[in-house]
Amino acid sequence: MQRPLELILARNLLSSLSTPAFLVDRDGLIAFFNEAAGALLGKRYEEVGSMSAAEWGETFGPLTADGERIPFEDLPLTNVLRRGKSAHARLHIRNATGDSHEIEASALPIVAAEIPRGAIVFFWPVGEE
Amino acid sequence: MKLKFWGARGSVPAPGPETNRYGGNTSCVQLTLDDGTDIVLDAGTGIRNLGLTMQHDCTLQILLTHLHLDHIQGLMFFEPAFDPKTELNIWGPEAPEASLEDRIARYISSPLTPIEVRELPCELSFKDSPTTEWEIGSARVQAAAVTHRGPTLGYRITEGDLSVCYLPDHEPALGASLVDLPEEWISGFELAQGADVLIHDCQYSDEEYASHIGWGHSRLTDTLTFAHRAGVKRLVLFHHDPLHSDDFLDAFMGAAVEGWTALGGAPDRVELAVERRCIELSAATA
Ligand SMILES: [Zn+2]
Ligand SMILES: [Zn+2]
Repeated sequence: MQRPLELILARNLLSSLSTPAFLVDRDGLIAFFNEAAGALLGKRYEEVGSMSAAEWGETFGPLTADGERIPFEDLPLTNVLRRGKSAHARLHIRNATGDSHEIEASALPIVAAEIPRGAIVFFWPVGEE
Repeated sequence: MKLKFWGARGSVPAPGPETNRYGGNTSCVQLTLDDGTDIVLDAGTGIRNLGLTMQHDCTLQILLTHLHLDHIQGLMFFEPAFDPKTELNIWGPEAPEASLEDRIARYISSPLTPIEVRELPCELSFKDSPTTEWEIGSARVQAAAVTHRGPTLGYRITEGDLSVCYLPDHEPALGASLVDLPEEWISGFELAQGADVLIHDCQYSDEEYASHIGWGHSRLTDTLTFAHRAGVKRLVLFHHDPLHSDDFLDAFMGAAVEGWTALGGAPDRVELAVERRCIELSAATA
């Protein structure tokens, strides 16, 4: 199935940025993450491919400061997808080697012709410029 | 199905002795279905000459990809639009800011033109191209948003087993490598996939593209790669740059054949659009 043009353009944009970012489709599927995000996660997108939020959660988190997984329903991102609002949060993620990193993440909905298409999530490690 | 090119130039008309053979009129392609229905793809200056050949007391369908001037400039000079016996349906991309009619009226209105849209004597209707397949005459039409500047559609028209895909202004390689990108992530892919004829933007040579990235048009290599990956049966390069003379385009054609055959295509399955040239499509020839 062809992706909506807005997601295609968003992927093209993200793939040319060094800001870690990922793209979520309207169903909450991780549709793409860029090389910078891959460097933090320890996996390239080409290695993992598209993932459901549950698979993503098992692999990378996000986690609370105590290492507990945050359920999909409680993620700020879920709010972005369901209500079309932006969200900003401080979370932990686990990379492919099992190390946990604190990150800050900002998620924005992608809406075109008043139809939600998904969301872009930018994130960066806390304490790094 | 029969195709006729009435304008193959991009951006701005380019009349003159150096462009006589390929033609200087901007985008307009006539697609005549087997049931006799005419579908006009874009209304660049080429539509003026088309209008002179058409019957007026009928229903005409114009599919606009977008509203850049080189795709609508001929509307004001389309003779059937001045006959009250003509029923003219104009389809185009929707945009959040204004209706299709209001956006076209920005061009067909004072002081740019001597008349207003509402004064056109024909029976005129403006329709947003649906996002799901619809029917015109004996054909099914599919429209989808594609990478260009501003809201822009590509079209696929299917009649029986034959399909034509029209992507006159398209830059699918913007920020992406068409060689290895998965198909679902390539703009326009679904529209073009397996088409019997793909009419595609090929405004720039590879050298020229370097200084035109993001202008909304394709270079030769990207057009060939896109068409090859989409598995089209025949490729027509379209939207010639106004600076490209006939001599330049002759040489460009050589480069196109070379690139196409290097991808495994047959040399007679790639060509440059030439004004007034026809392509007859039947299951046997496709
Ligand atoms: Zn154009
Ligand atoms: Zn254009």
